[in-house]
Amino acid sequence: MEISVTESGDVRILSFKGNLDTNTSPQAENEINGLIEAGAQKLLVNFENLDYISSAGLRILLATAKKLKASPGDLKICCLNETVQEVFDISGFATILSVSKTEEEALGAY
Amino acid sequence: MIRELSRTRLLWDSLILVLILVSCVMVPYQFAFNQGNALSGFQVIYLIDLFFIVDIFLNCRTTFRRHGVEVSDRPSCTKYYARRLMVVDILGSLPLDLIAWVLIGNGQFLGGSLVLALRLLRLLRIVRLFVILRRWEAFSWSNPGALRVVKFLVSILLLMHWLACIWFFLAFASGFPADSWAARASIVDSGPVAQYIRSIYWTITTMTTVGYGDITPARSAEYVLSAVIMLMGASLYAFIIGSVASLLSSIQAAKNSHWERIDSVTEFLRQRQVPAAIDAKVRNYYEYVWEHDRGMNKNDMLNDLPGPLRLEILLHLASNILETVPLFKNCSPILRDELLISLESRTFTPGSNIAGEGEMGRSIYFIVEGSVEIISADTQKSWGTLGEGDYFGFMSMVLGERRTATTRAIGFCDLLILDKENFNRIKAEFPEFNDVLKRASAERTEQISELVLEGIIL
Repeated sequence: MEISVTESGDVRILSFKGNLDTNTSPQAENEINGLIEAGAQKLLVNFENLDYISSAGLRILLATAKKLKASPGDLKICCLNETVQEVFDISGFATILSVSKTEEEALGAY
Repeated sequence: MIRELSRTRLLWDSLILVLILVSCVMVPYQFAFNQGNALSGFQVIYLIDLFFIVDIFLNCRTTFRRHGVEVSDRPSCTKYYARRLMVVDILGSLPLDLIAWVLIGNGQFLGGSLVLALRLLRLLRIVRLFVILRRWEAFSWSNPGALRVVKFLVSILLLMHWLACIWFFLAFASGFPADSWAARASIVDSGPVAQYIRSIYWTITTMTTVGYGDITPARSAEYVLSAVIMLMGASLYAFIIGSVASLLSSIQAAKNSHWERIDSVTEFLRQRQVPAAIDAKVRNYYEYVWEHDRGMNKNDMLNDLPGPLRLEILLHLASNILETVPLFKNCSPILRDELLISLESRTFTPGSNIAGEGEMGRSIYFIVEGSVEIISADTQKSWGTLGEGDYFGFMSMVLGERRTATTRAIGFCDLLILDKENFNRIKAEFPEFNDVLKRASAERTEQISELVLEGIIL
């Protein structure tokens, strides 16, 4: 899985490409934790090129959202593909994680 | 028009039923035991006739069902009645005896009074009795088993009464010769009540094949009637035994078949030397199923019915959960109907695993009644409970991952299960389904997210 980090103002944008599963989630976790430790408070995760998310991936997202909420900070997610959107809908995570359709929309919401 | 299954018709039929019984007892009694006074009690007889004449008019205005549809236009109803029972009813209600009395006076017929013999035509009313009982079978409150018992008892008692009347009339018509049974039993000069008691006593002893021999036939006609009654008695005896056995078993058919099933399962478990604890659990389950659904499997029972009818019943059965289960609360009526048809209802016993750890999710489970505990199979650690209205199983199914915990029924637990195939089909046909699930899970997203954070996938 590839993770690229870009910046837009004080928001760090993480773009995921490939699968976010048990094998790749430690990499993603390290990347996110690294950004938070470096002082980033506003994170935007772009799932436009994400093919699949497993429960391990969901766990990282939930843990990060919890961590940033306490700091205080904010985690937003955008550009979910159909499968990932379904997982979010059915689990109800779409209501506790801030999900936007496009990156611009998400950035505008900070 | 009077509706066939209306309250008015029911009340009227109840009255007519009583009058039929009165007629069928009174008329032959008078014919056999009260020949000397042909006109006594005529007021009651003719008053009853009036009711039956009114009944004929009401029958012309009573609706009937053709191919399951109630026909209520008057010409069709009259035609329907005219083709079936109108002639019998008219013959049974017209005071022909009175007409004969006026025209020709009281003549002789078969050794008895012609007026009283014509009055016997009222016995045709018995046909109406069976029509009424058949109509009552269509009422939802009626118990077919109980109605059959009533029909059977009424038939037997009336038959015995009529035979007793014929038995005495044989002696009367022949003029009570010394060798007639009545003369030998010394009841010729007794009152009609004593004569009737002897006659019915003889009928019962002969019909039940007891035959004490204290009253015996001596004349040809008496021998013939005795032989006929004995034949009837023997067949009736077999019929009674068979009918009573079948009635008793049909009244308790559901309970019997339930207990038969329990017995065969218990026998199977005993043969295979299954521990008593499991045997007790099985019995406990069957007891619950009996208490809850009278031992019937809803899924199997309703499969026989056509789709729309099945849906109507399911909607009624599920009326309580439609209000409480969030899934249904947020559905459109079409989606709700589709879900009801597709969901399978299942009961789990206390302590049984509903969805096991390590299994791939293939269904979503909706809790209708009872509660479920989430536990780790190896450590037996509890991760919380789910109650009525909650649902689980979708994470494993949608993510395509194995479950990381087991769900176990705490008490008896009634669940509705939606399998993967139906889930995908409904999702494809009803785009709103995802939204419905989203809203249904909104109330407990916190709990789900805590579980996911702990690595629990159900």
